Amino acid sequence: MKISHDWLTDYAAPGLSPEALAETLTMGGLEVDGIERTGPSLEGVVVGRVERVRPHPDADRLVLCDVALGESGNGTPDEPAQIACGAPNVAEGQHVPVASVGTELMLPDGENGGERRPVTIEAVELRGERSEGMICSAHELGVGEDASGILVLEDDARIGQPLAEYLADRGAAPNDTVFNIDLTPNRPDAASHLGVARDLAALTDAPLERPAVELPQEGGETAEAVSVEIEDAAACPRYAALLVRGIENGDAPAWLKQRLTAIGLQPRNAVVDATNFVLHECGQPLHAFDFEHIRGDRIIARTASEETTLTTLDGTERTAPPGTLLICDAERPVAFAGVMGGRNSEVSRATTDVLIESAYFAPSRVRRAAKALGLSTDASYRFERGVDSDGQVWAAARAARLIAEITGGAVVEGLVDERPQGPPEPRRVRFRPERANAVLGTDLSASEMGRLLTSVGIEGRDRIHDDAGGFSCVVPTFRPDLTREEDLIEEVARLHGYDRIPAPAHVPLPARPPREERTRSLRRRVRELLAGAGLREIQTNSMLSKPRAQRFLAGENGDGARGETGVVETLKPISEAMAALRPRLLPGALDAMRFNQNHGQETLRFFEFGHVFRRSSQREATVPGYAEHEALLVALSGPAQATGWDDASGDEHAADFYDAKGVVEHVLAHLGADGVEMEPFGAEADPNVAYGLRLSTAGGAPLGVVGKVDEEAAAGLEHDVFAAELRWGTLAEAAAPRRERRYEPPRRFPAVERDLAVVVPEAAAAGAVRRTVEEAEGAPLLREARLFDVYAGEGVGDGRKSLAFELRFQAEARTISGDEVDIEFERIVSLLADEHDAELRG
Amino acid sequence: MPEAPDAVETLRREIEAETIESEEEAEAFRIAYLGRKRGKIGALFDRIPDLDPEARPAFGKAVNALQDDAQAKLEAARERLADEEGDALPELDLTLPGRPPAPAGSLHPLVETLDEVSGIFERFGFSVAEGPEIEDDWHNFGALNFPPDHPARDMQDTFFLEKHENDESDERLDVVLRTHTSPMQIRVMEEGEPPFRVVVPGRVYRNEALSYKSYCLFYQVEGLYVDEGVSMGHLKQTLALFARSFFGDDVRTRFRPSYFPFTEPSAEMDVWWETADGAGQWMEILGCGMVHPNVLEHAGVDPEQYTGYAFGMGIDRVTMLRHDITDIRTLYENDVRFLRQF
Repeated sequence: MKISHDWLTDYAAPGLSPEALAETLTMGGLEVDGIERTGPSLEGVVVGRVERVRPHPDADRLVLCDVALGESGNGTPDEPAQIACGAPNVAEGQHVPVASVGTELMLPDGENGGERRPVTIEAVELRGERSEGMICSAHELGVGEDASGILVLEDDARIGQPLAEYLADRGAAPNDTVFNIDLTPNRPDAASHLGVARDLAALTDAPLERPAVELPQEGGETAEAVSVEIEDAAACPRYAALLVRGIENGDAPAWLKQRLTAIGLQPRNAVVDATNFVLHECGQPLHAFDFEHIRGDRIIARTASEETTLTTLDGTERTAPPGTLLICDAERPVAFAGVMGGRNSEVSRATTDVLIESAYFAPSRVRRAAKALGLSTDASYRFERGVDSDGQVWAAARAARLIAEITGGAVVEGLVDERPQGPPEPRRVRFRPERANAVLGTDLSASEMGRLLTSVGIEGRDRIHDDAGGFSCVVPTFRPDLTREEDLIEEVARLHGYDRIPAPAHVPLPARPPREERTRSLRRRVRELLAGAGLREIQTNSMLSKPRAQRFLAGENGDGARGETGVVETLKPISEAMAALRPRLLPGALDAMRFNQNHGQETLRFFEFGHVFRRSSQREATVPGYAEHEALLVALSGPAQATGWDDASGDEHAADFYDAKGVVEHVLAHLGADGVEMEPFGAEADPNVAYGLRLSTAGGAPLGVVGKVDEEAAAGLEHDVFAAELRWGTLAEAAAPRRERRYEPPRRFPAVERDLAVVVPEAAAAGAVRRTVEEAEGAPLLREARLFDVYAGEGVGDGRKSLAFELRFQAEARTISGDEVDIEFERIVSLLADEHDAELRG
Repeated sequence: MPEAPDAVETLRREIEAETIESEEEAEAFRIAYLGRKRGKIGALFDRIPDLDPEARPAFGKAVNALQDDAQAKLEAARERLADEEGDALPELDLTLPGRPPAPAGSLHPLVETLDEVSGIFERFGFSVAEGPEIEDDWHNFGALNFPPDHPARDMQDTFFLEKHENDESDERLDVVLRTHTSPMQIRVMEEGEPPFRVVVPGRVYRNEALSYKSYCLFYQVEGLYVDEGVSMGHLKQTLALFARSFFGDDVRTRFRPSYFPFTEPSAEMDVWWETADGAGQWMEILGCGMVHPNVLEHAGVDPEQYTGYAFGMGIDRVTMLRHDITDIRTLYENDVRFLRQF
């Protein structure tokens, strides 16, 4: 919302610079988030008097003027400056605006269609004669249109006075400062210059000068000329109307146009400009109808029962849904109430009689209408926030008077003021000074708080004689936001100054044991672990297009069993790319990989923690119908980053399945998540993962998958992508809490190591073979079995492969013998032969 | 035998001509010139008694100076030798780079900032709660004192989701992507008894066009403290201390009135942010206030007995500020050339 400094200070003038004034408003709750200067800069332009005019000896079209410019500080007038001038109207004795040497003017460029360019006035020689400055026309200064000659000022102009000051003294200041106020929705009272002035006056103790307006009496000639009926009093609690007749609707006077242009409004004609002026003066939206076009001399406020089409003032045909409040004449709608008037009754330059509407419309009804019409106007903005429910007559009378004054019309005596439910009861709110001090942490006296409340119009503080005590305060009608004690406490706080609320030396801490969710503490550890292992953390968009979401939804991934059924769609997203929520993290990681590949990165090692979403048939969810969980994604593609300069630095093979599985196992081991089951699966199970392992916890809860990303899903990427996506909550749950780990002293008796190489069918799963070894019954001394070699080829036979394990045997409390080891070793070999068709490699 | 003064000069020249290239030569030099018994300088001292009494002081002084110079030459040589000895290098080229245990990884600056902010409040005794990103209207708006059809709802461009089929009638069950982390205020209060002292880090959503300054989602940290006797002074102090911890001890903050439906009084905190060219401006970094009594009532907490404060801070913005990032989309693009800088 734009507020003009000059306009504002018509009502409250605390004598502050614009910057200090902005600071005061900001710290008082009306945040000024921009300060803009309007109008030309007249810095350096002063009033001079032409003392002498003589012809230029060497130029017919120029004269030389001696111009007195006053004094520059030493108390005696300076020598007059010699200035060459080509204007036809220059004459001795004139007071004129002079741009002194060094002044920068935005001069119209004759060759460039009058576009203005900065020019610095310098002392020059013109055909052998000095010229020290420039006598300016109104057009050159940007303060008027007249370019035919120099601007001649009034004779009482003070020589040496800055021109800006001279103009301001005459109510025609060409410069203004405009504040852009970021008005919060709770402050409709401040949506006008008077409203802001009220706060400014309260914050600075400056007096508030509200224009005096003589309020008309209800009835009279006006009531005979026009009738108003309110059919829907809930939507339109009040409708006041005034008539001005016999106007000549030309341009508004310059001062009025200047007020409007300063705040960014386009002047139209005197009547419209006057109603706009009053709207921005006091916050009450007004509408002016051409009374000749109000059929039947009747106004009816009624709620539409069907769709209504009306061409609004902006020339657009608009259709409002049933339920919209309409302003109608005897035959047809003439306005969408509170939003915009109709073209059919618009005021034009030919208008002679004007009907001024000043109403109170219910905020929620205007809001719904404005939304349905897709139209937000200065009027709807104020109505939906709630205008002063008692300010209608003042505003109408102010506008009528102004219109009459500037158009030569006459205000018709009397007033129509329909208010079916009568004036509203004044709202009373209990206020307890002790409570205010307790909430704010202040130590203000009751009388000081009373003074602060009074400064913004909160009056009538009667003591309440009940247990709670306190005072009963009467809230002014222009403050619909003040409904509870806390609202008054805020008024006290902001008027006293938030910066004056003391910061206590101690802040209390409730006696509660501090807790941290494991999902959080472990997440931090795993992030560090993965970054330490060479992965980069990414943050991808939760949103994607619907087809992509559909594609990545597929694959039951252990989720189907939970009733997680479909993609989550957003309603009315502003772009297709935001039409759905990610069902898993993988698509975001693939996007990040593509982006980086396109920017020359080959090594792609990413991880991300994030929420994923699905529709769900379960009703017990936090939000019924939706399933959401946090996932951990790891995705690898492309060659490993070269880290060293010699062979021992490791190879740079492209990431493969075992790299991804290795990262997962690294995480599981770090978390102490023992007993995680890994079930191989092939292409059928998940269209996004060509093959991989399905993980579940020792307790059987689905944990996620690790595998090779389907090539179509990874389209556009040069190297295969391997990824794991795990349910973070389940994994954190499966982690063995460190504090529950118990120390087991190392065994003191020596261990015996044996290598076991067996030849098994090529299709035998190494994991299953290893499990047989590890779980072998009858081999209680076996402590560890580590697979250290896999070999297929010469010497092991076709269709066979060799698996080599390092076995470690050890007893708890004694030294074991070679014989004992032999017995267990043979038992393992025979179990492997039975279960895996294994034979010892010779 | 030369005259005594000449002898000093001769010896000086001799000493100056000596070179000391090893520890052995150094020792030989010491014995030859500075040795107590047979040193050549000592021998000059021995000649003093033979001189004229007037000549003795000048001669003694000259010999002393020579002794100091010889001593200095010896020490300088030994120091140089000790340095040179240290330079005896093994066969390895020690200047080759080390072999890292793994290639460099990185942590995302947004998550790091989110953790840092939450961490500071954890040290102030706040617990951490995390909540769902899909919320119902009641927790995101209604319980937080956003009336239906109220302009306050325009402050947040909301993503709506399809309502669960059976709940068409109940407006409270409209489904949204949370527009702030504040719904967790309600969930936390619904699930326990006061006091509550908790921060909520998390992702929130706004249905806005993407540009350098707005993205469809961002991170917030919400804070809530409800207890007996909590005041706005406590809020101010806690946030001022937070700012000093996060931005540095010399940070300037200001606290000014604002509006949020769920707090009353409401405030915003600005920090004075200086740019490289020395210019500065107030930057709004968080919104806060005393928990609105309607909110406490909605969550089943008696507002007469308990008061509380709440605050919410955008994480993307401070991350951008502190790292000189000017386009918010950079944070979600995952360019390795960006990631590797953190």
